[in-house]
Amino acid sequence: MKLGGMFADIWHALWRKPATEKYPFEKRAAPERLRGALYFNPEKCTGCGMCTRDCPADAIELVTLDKKNKRFVLRYHLDRCTFCAQCVETCSYDCLGMSNEQWELAARDKEPFTVYYGNAEDIQTFMARAAPSETDAQTK
Amino acid sequence: MHNTQAEKFIVPMGPQHPALKEPGHFEFTLDGETVTHAGVRLGYVHRGIEKATEARTWVQNLYLLERICGICSHTHATAFVLGVEKLAGITAPPRAQAIRALIGEMERIHSHLLWLGVAAHEAGFDTLFMFSWRDRETIMDLLEEITGNRVNYSANVLGGVKYDVQEKHADALRRALDFLETRTEHYLEVVKNDEMFLRRTRGVGVMSRELAEAWGVVGPTARASGVARDVRVDAPYAGYVDFPARLILQTEGDLEARFSVRIQELFESYRLIRALLDHLPTGELVKTVPRRIKAGETVSRIEAPRGELFYFIKSNGGDKPERVHIRTPSICNMSSVLSLAVGHPLADVPMLLAGIDPCFSCNDRMVLLKQTARNGAHADEWTWEQLHQHGIEYYRKQKR
Amino acid sequence: MNALLALLLFPGGLFVMLNGLAYEWVDRKLVARMQNRLGPRWFQPLADVAKLLGKEEIVPRGADARWFNGLPIVALAAVLTAALYVPLLGILPSVGFAGDLIVTIYLLSVLTLCLALAGSLTSDRFGLLGATRTLTQLFSYEAPFLLALLGPAVVAGSWQIGTILNYASGQWLIVTQPIGFFIAVIGLMGKLELPPFDAPEAHTEIVAGALTEYSGRGLALFRLAKNVALVVGLTLIAGFYLGGIANAFEFVGKTLALLGVIVVLQVLFARLRIDQLVGMWWRVGALLALAQWLLLIGWKLWSAN
Repeated sequence: MKLGGMFADIWHALWRKPATEKYPFEKRAAPERLRGALYFNPEKCTGCGMCTRDCPADAIELVTLDKKNKRFVLRYHLDRCTFCAQCVETCSYDCLGMSNEQWELAARDKEPFTVYYGNAEDIQTFMARAAPSETDAQTK
Repeated sequence: MHNTQAEKFIVPMGPQHPALKEPGHFEFTLDGETVTHAGVRLGYVHRGIEKATEARTWVQNLYLLERICGICSHTHATAFVLGVEKLAGITAPPRAQAIRALIGEMERIHSHLLWLGVAAHEAGFDTLFMFSWRDRETIMDLLEEITGNRVNYSANVLGGVKYDVQEKHADALRRALDFLETRTEHYLEVVKNDEMFLRRTRGVGVMSRELAEAWGVVGPTARASGVARDVRVDAPYAGYVDFPARLILQTEGDLEARFSVRIQELFESYRLIRALLDHLPTGELVKTVPRRIKAGETVSRIEAPRGELFYFIKSNGGDKPERVHIRTPSICNMSSVLSLAVGHPLADVPMLLAGIDPCFSCNDRMVLLKQTARNGAHADEWTWEQLHQHGIEYYRKQKR
Repeated sequence: MNALLALLLFPGGLFVMLNGLAYEWVDRKLVARMQNRLGPRWFQPLADVAKLLGKEEIVPRGADARWFNGLPIVALAAVLTAALYVPLLGILPSVGFAGDLIVTIYLLSVLTLCLALAGSLTSDRFGLLGATRTLTQLFSYEAPFLLALLGPAVVAGSWQIGTILNYASGQWLIVTQPIGFFIAVIGLMGKLELPPFDAPEAHTEIVAGALTEYSGRGLALFRLAKNVALVVGLTLIAGFYLGGIANAFEFVGKTLALLGVIVVLQVLFARLRIDQLVGMWWRVGALLALAQWLLLIGWKLWSAN
């Protein structure tokens, strides 16, 4: 039978720094394994597409520009991604990984949520190809 | 206010109510402050997950099922994974099995500490709430350190685990366990000795062993009533085969016992994690599982932090399951709250509700059809077409 | 002109309200720090009130709009009037009269009555339950609280706050009447519905109790009224039991010290059920207060002879 069993706690807490972190002002380093935004390394990609098959959220699309010369563009939908890292696990060629630096992903519009990965020129080719169809969609 | 029998004073709790962190609807008929009747309506977070599994591959389902519950995501994934591996006739490597148990125990720690805070908050003891949640952060940080996420760890893959536990993780975990152990001892002391808190827990909501058996209560709630049942002990799975868990039992059956059982389970989890870390089997992490699972059906049981979690999985030999049925511990425990609440003051009801550690999003995967079918079928034997037709008719009626 | 200033700025009106808000901040900040949290910034209570004042007040169906809007005003007016009779900043009130102690205590109770009325006038079920609990709590702590504050009055031989303060400034009555002090502090916590006596507004059970339906101005005024009541109550108890209040320095120091005690009690205990609360007050609180009161009267009679 005791009253005020937590007195020692509140007494110590009174003189301690609060456990709360002032997040946007003071940031803690993210753990090494943190699963943030996906990144893609097109060098080793063979275009097998297993990552898109296993993705539970339909967040990755692999566009093959030229299979022979291994030119691929990965369209990544950040807003659909559930950050489960199954694609990283599935990829046998180590092309995919999850960043532990890019994890503050909030944005005001939808545009930044579609990310294109690949060689710069490949992305350009892809965008150029995609552009007419998009204007088609608008005119409709 | 209303004394006549005809006019009942009914206090609604939910779907939005400060005592409920998730939507559920309860109705308590009051006589003064005493509850005379209790009713429940669930289903506000029914997401059709069981049906959705049939449209996804085995791999994709892992992540869908993990999202049934935010607190015990790992147990859902583990139950599913173990079931699928059983169907495929594959056993994950011993190191993977041990890591599954390790993360499962870490999850139990964070779940029980979370529960301790919530239950204390329901009793208006916010200091215990704040401190237990502060200490819970140490285990959350470690979960993030090891798996890369605080909730929905996604540690499992079919055939093993994704993340290895390295020596630096083991060291950090051991240090955290030392800290948590002293803290937990302190909380047990507070919960068992603080006079003001005991007034709200001792002798409140007593559930005898017979009642617990009759109502089919599971998990710590049942163990607080003397029902010796724990899947980790009765039918060991994953790492628990080599690292047996001990059963924690109390016989009082009141709220104090439920507090005590859960806190003592924390000590058991600390012991298990230490044992697992000291004798972690070496070897590979993943075994390949075929994309098409052999036809067949199986049952997979796991001890979730809230009690027995039950998966039924049926495969027709394709790359998608034919049927997945899930029974979560919260739904088993729900009926006990309604029966226990009768005769208690309204002030005890949030405590009683918290006492079973309810998880509403776990609950809501079932619709009970009360009416007998007009199309000739027996009430419990509906064909898929009949159910489909019923669904169409039901929503047409709702629209009107 | 001077009277108007006195009513609007000091000691009535603006000063007590700001003082109340400042003390609310101290209360919240200390509670937070004792729970190892950060706590609000200094202007948070003021910001809360400003925000609430700017919000739309929704009068629920079935409630009389005049009562619904009028009750918070009456409650605030009552506690502001009470503030006129207590020595804020150590300045003895000029409007004192014989028996103003009783008036002050009952003006504080008007706040509770208004709360209960506000709860029962809305047809909301949480409001009704909250109102019932508020009144139940009022009936349980009121008598002991009154007795506890009358203890110093008895030894001082006066029912006027000014006279009692003069008497009390020579000695710390907490030494001779510890029971009275203790009961007065707990009674004040019950009056303000602070944890562990917050059963009338226990939010895990009945949402916000009597104030469930209040959202805008009414809620702001009720909160202000509670803050003012906190200042008035602290001043009274500090003045009576902690050796009087002679100047502004003593006022701040003693009331804050008392507030600290209240904060610790808030943080340390789990909420009491309303039945446990009533039982505790009548079985322990009232009896102890009464026993001490009889002792004091006996001592008074004995020393007079």
